[in-house]
Amino acid sequence: MGHHHKAVEQDIRNTYRWFDDRLPLLSFLKEHLADYQAPRNLNYMWNFGSLAGIALILQILTGLFLAMHYKPDVNMAYDSVQHIMRNVEWGWLIRNLHMVGASFFFIVVYIHIGRGLYYGSYKSPREVLWGLGLVIFLLMMATAFMGYVLPWGQMSYWGATVITNLLSVIPFFGPDIVVWLWGGYSVGDPTLTRFYAIHFVLPFVIVGVVILHVWALHLHGSNNPKGIDLTKQSDYIPFHPYYTTKDVFGLGVYLIPFTFMVFFLPEYLGHPDNYIPANPLVTPAHIVPEWYFLPFYAILRAIPIKELGVLAMFGSILIMFVLPWLDRSKVRSARFRPIYKQMFWLFVANFFVLGWCGAMPAEGIYVTISQVATTFYFAFFALLPLIAKYEKPHPIPATI
Amino acid sequence: MKNLLLLAAFLITPLAHAGGGVEVPQEKWSFQGLQGKWDKDEIYRGYTVATQVCLACHSFKYINHRSLMRVGFTEAEVQTLAKALNMDINAKLISALDEASAKETYGKIPPDLSMMNKARAGGADYSHAVLVGYSEDPELIKHYLPEGVPQGAHFNKYFPGHAIAMPNPLSGPDMVTYHDGTSATVDQMSRDVSTFMQWTAEPERFERQHLGVYVLIYLFIFTILAFLTKRAIWKDIKKH
Ligand code: HEC
Ligand code: HEM
Repeated sequence: MGHHHKAVEQDIRNTYRWFDDRLPLLSFLKEHLADYQAPRNLNYMWNFGSLAGIALILQILTGLFLAMHYKPDVNMAYDSVQHIMRNVEWGWLIRNLHMVGASFFFIVVYIHIGRGLYYGSYKSPREVLWGLGLVIFLLMMATAFMGYVLPWGQMSYWGATVITNLLSVIPFFGPDIVVWLWGGYSVGDPTLTRFYAIHFVLPFVIVGVVILHVWALHLHGSNNPKGIDLTKQSDYIPFHPYYTTKDVFGLGVYLIPFTFMVFFLPEYLGHPDNYIPANPLVTPAHIVPEWYFLPFYAILRAIPIKELGVLAMFGSILIMFVLPWLDRSKVRSARFRPIYKQMFWLFVANFFVLGWCGAMPAEGIYVTISQVATTFYFAFFALLPLIAKYEKPHPIPATI
Repeated sequence: MKNLLLLAAFLITPLAHAGGGVEVPQEKWSFQGLQGKWDKDEIYRGYTVATQVCLACHSFKYINHRSLMRVGFTEAEVQTLAKALNMDINAKLISALDEASAKETYGKIPPDLSMMNKARAGGADYSHAVLVGYSEDPELIKHYLPEGVPQGAHFNKYFPGHAIAMPNPLSGPDMVTYHDGTSATVDQMSRDVSTFMQWTAEPERFERQHLGVYVLIYLFIFTILAFLTKRAIWKDIKKH
């Protein structure tokens, strides 16, 4: 019996070698998912990358099942969502997972970006890794924006109208581009159908960029909480079993609040107006985007000149692409950067203030607060070269 | 970095959806709490008000009589109810009032009510508040509408703008006779139909919550085991 067992094992080994010799897919996966050498001092902030990956897969899977029942036609879209909620077997579960999943994906990615900002992960040699992350973030925003249009409620329609209209500020071609994008003279059936097509395909583009992102990560390896370059082999541990078990634990911690929302408060992060079927003749009292866009929406509305507002909104994300060159400090981790550390927390607090402003009507005191917060948002980036120059970092340890 | 998590938690506190109306009072509902269920008698009473009163103007287009079997009605009971309205049990609850004549009579098309409690901040609290929010008191009306009630509209304390096109649908007691002998006061009818509208808006509510309890218990155990595994694996790793 034992002898027989050994023979089977040998057969499997040989088959593996035979296959790997012809297509080294399995050894490639092993190299990147099991043997990858990671610093041994990573804290729980390093869980959010793999959580983002799981969140992405969950969106793709639930989205696929929704797509089997959804109808991208202005006369059927709202009804087809109700059909999913009421008649499709487990339809309510699939839809709630997709809806709450989008919000939680953004929470995870915001923390993931915050981690990079705090520990200086965007600095050399990880500038391209950081840039690819921002590309993912932009693609996520485009995907989520178009996804929110699909249920064809009042906020779907009016949100789409407000945001697509922003492109009309593009000099000369703007208005034509907007008409081209809509496929007509207002948001309508052609818009809905094409947004559905794009919403379906973008997540697969994101998967592609995530692969590049991880490729870039594995080339120079992960940064770590001390932000120092590691030299000794003993500073590293293999991804499996150490970080696989840590990530599975992190996944459990993540899934508890996530499933709580899915089963008990699925509408909590949504807006009731989106359960009113889209009506081009009735404008809602306040048009507000999903919560994860609110800080950028506040920047848009802070500036009374529309062209500048649009520029500031897109600029607020684009400026992060040049962050590695604005922050010239050689020290990565905020732990050793007293001034940068304070600026980081102010930046985070300011981001919440912006989010709050985005949810408020664009009038009176809220506009003033948005303007102050927008100014600080950009001042943070503008001050980085100065901070790098005058800040006295704490002594940097030579090793972890 | 712990602060970041705290801040994230702070961000998901509810964003004010301030409407133009008055603060809607919070009521107690039988469907609240984590382990509730749809009470068949209550749904039956709500159904009675909905079909005897509201259906004259409003549809419930996502509901048919067969849907009632999900809250414990038998097929025979549902057949009897449908027959009393001259309806097939698979027919949607569509009002006989067509949109054109509605527009002519009321100036507005009465909205479909099946999703109403999800489409308004406040849900059932709001529906109930609107249904009992009518008044003829000139002092009160003057307070909210100094210019007077516009032509064709009716004063309502809780409707945003306080002038609603819907005439008071529950204008007095005993507009319906309940199957279980409950006394049909205005407040009772309003609560019953608001509960019914909660059911039409989210019939899956309790399937969702019951399953959710098991999923959460499972995840707690999973997470504890995952933590113990992680700790055992990491036993010999010095992190600093
Ligand atoms: C005589 C016709 C009529 C009857 C009967 C009627 N409604 Fe209405 N209802 C309307 C009209 C018209 C509107 C639109 C009001 C407006 O927008 O000003 C309306 C609006 C509503 C609204 C929406 C208020 C909002 O916030 O927009 C609710 C809720 C409502 N009705 C509930 C009911 C219920 C419950 C019943 C049965 C008890 C009922 N209605 C019976 C005509 C009617
Ligand atoms: C779909 C969204 C994303 C996925 C699936 C993803 C995935 C990952 C994974 C698996 C890692 C390695 C684990 C970790 O360090 O946490 C990682 C690292 C990283 N990500 Fe992302 N990411 C996403 C979005 C972003 C965004 C939006 C940014 C920033 C703009 C970003 C910046 C980084 C950086 C800088 C690292 C290296 C961190 C370090 O080693 O210190 N990522 N990402």
